[in-house]
Amino acid sequence: MFSPIFRDAVIFASLISLMSLGLTLIYITTKVSNFAHGSLVSIGIYLALTTSSVWASNPYYCLPLAFGFGGLASLILYILILRPLSRKGASSVSLIAATLAFDLILLASLNIYADYLTSVYKISSRAFILRGVDFKVVDQPGIFLVAPTLVFTIISSLYIVLTRTKFGIAMRAVVENPQLASVMGVNTNLILATSWFLSGGLAAMAGVLLPLWFMVSPDTGTSMMLSVFAASIVGGFSNIYGAALGGYLVGLTEILLTNFLAQNVGSWMIPYRPAIPLLAIVATLLIAPTGIAGIDWLSKIRRMRVRLFGPAS
Amino acid sequence: MALPAEALFIIDLLALFAIYVVIAMSLNLEVGYGGVPNFGKVLVVAGGAFVAGWFPGRILALVYNIDPSIDYISKNTLVMALINSHLKTDPVMALLVFVVTLCLAAAVGAALGLLASYPAIRLREDYLAITLTAMGELIKIVGYNYIPLVGGTLGIQVPDCLAFVGGEMRFTFATLIMLGVAAAIFLFIERLVRSPLGRVIRATRDDAVAASTLGKDVVGIRIRLLIVGSAIGAIGGALYAFYTSATIASAYNRVDWTFWPWVMVMLGGAANNRGAVVGTLTFVTARKLITFYKHEIAFLFPFDVAWLDFILFGLMLILLLMFRPEGLIPERPTPTIGRRRLEELMKAKAE
Repeated sequence: MFSPIFRDAVIFASLISLMSLGLTLIYITTKVSNFAHGSLVSIGIYLALTTSSVWASNPYYCLPLAFGFGGLASLILYILILRPLSRKGASSVSLIAATLAFDLILLASLNIYADYLTSVYKISSRAFILRGVDFKVVDQPGIFLVAPTLVFTIISSLYIVLTRTKFGIAMRAVVENPQLASVMGVNTNLILATSWFLSGGLAAMAGVLLPLWFMVSPDTGTSMMLSVFAASIVGGFSNIYGAALGGYLVGLTEILLTNFLAQNVGSWMIPYRPAIPLLAIVATLLIAPTGIAGIDWLSKIRRMRVRLFGPAS
Repeated sequence: MALPAEALFIIDLLALFAIYVVIAMSLNLEVGYGGVPNFGKVLVVAGGAFVAGWFPGRILALVYNIDPSIDYISKNTLVMALINSHLKTDPVMALLVFVVTLCLAAAVGAALGLLASYPAIRLREDYLAITLTAMGELIKIVGYNYIPLVGGTLGIQVPDCLAFVGGEMRFTFATLIMLGVAAAIFLFIERLVRSPLGRVIRATRDDAVAASTLGKDVVGIRIRLLIVGSAIGAIGGALYAFYTSATIASAYNRVDWTFWPWVMVMLGGAANNRGAVVGTLTFVTARKLITFYKHEIAFLFPFDVAWLDFILFGLMLILLLMFRPEGLIPERPTPTIGRRRLEELMKAKAE
């Protein structure tokens, strides 16, 4: 019904979309490029492994737990490190350096945990895959259904929260103008903390779903960051819907184009797969640095219509 | 004559220091003096090392008429043994190739720095940080998979340009040469930051808008800065390849060649050449001692203690950024002409 490569592409793109959503959310609220986002994803990966191999349960059940754990780790990074730093007037370069350091600490902790799992529970904790424990819908793997549905659910609930609730409107106000928002009585600190929690939670949820289809290790999250950054930049780094769309664009292109090149040029092309997101970054920055969300599509369409059919009477 | 273990420990320490101080100083030039966030230092370090793996062996094989039917990559050990036996009796050629390789590494590093930063140099710092990080990842993939470059997963040997020294003195000699290169680069950067260009570099860092209203080409200066910094970083990579007599792509990861240099610069104090030296020396010594005593505590933990290294230095960078962002030696105003000359002029004026 569906070719396996198409399944790969949809699952990968959905997860990239989920990660890019959180990364962009942080960037528009706090103006920080969070280089530790990848290790937050890996937290989810190891929660899924613990749930399935240690607690002998279905990894899907730990999605709420992952949301909490990832959110908490992300909140620690923000409250204990980044907020004090930026209050002292640290530059954005120092903030990036701090997130890199946090990434390294998380990466080492996850590796320690992976060693611990292997030595105590005798389970393989590196380069593992949990496809076997996934459920099936007719003849399709569950993850193929769950991943895009999750992205769709999250985007629509975010849309409702941001446009229909008081909290969401306050959040948009903080993005537009933090000073003015706090003058108007918005609790800026609470809003920023919430967005960090949300971002980390979404990252860890993506992490739980990863091993259900792909082979993973402690550094999987970090190595996916290239695609996540590419998705965010293609999406414009200014708008969460753009980020989600960018995630699908970059994720689908990365898998399908690699597959196409491998079949038509030669299998030696496969290892160079990371060049695709990199080229996406370079092309976006050179041609349209504001990304998909930054382009005024309506006026472009209108101008095109005028050029094709003449001015509307 | 066998050197005692303590002497070997110190020689190895100084060699590592010489390599890392070159890289830390180049990073300090970019980040500290210029405010350009280079989170992809590994790109040019790997570039330099790949030049050292790719160029000198091939050129020496031509010079010494080594049978071209012996494949350079798959029979690398054999080719290298032949080359090194020639080099043993030919110190002039050895040093010439060494110097030419360093120059070529610098040129390749400069080109890589320009190429990697070009798409994002006009945009926000975050974009530059992301692109440079991404490029740093890509070069490892190229080195790992394109076997003719540096032998892919197996790596490649680098000709021993000090084969004529021989024995244990080789390492002492190599260390002295590398310290010499590091000292030359130190003097070069000192001169550079005291020059008019150095003052413009700091001005663009402190206030890019103010600098551009005064007619300074901010983007042009940043590009030039990255070119110089990348050239120096590549020399560091080439030195490392010569010192270890080998290049293997998997050794060029972002922790060893981007993150550790960042810790060194922040520890010593950004925008301060002496700080970079002190920071590198402290860091390299601390890591060397940790590596040395690691196995003594290894049995206490049910995991690989190497990970504690990451946590320790990650925490150290965060604490430094939070509580001592100026580092061990803070940035001081750099006098344009040196204090003694200034005092002489003042005295002359008073008379």
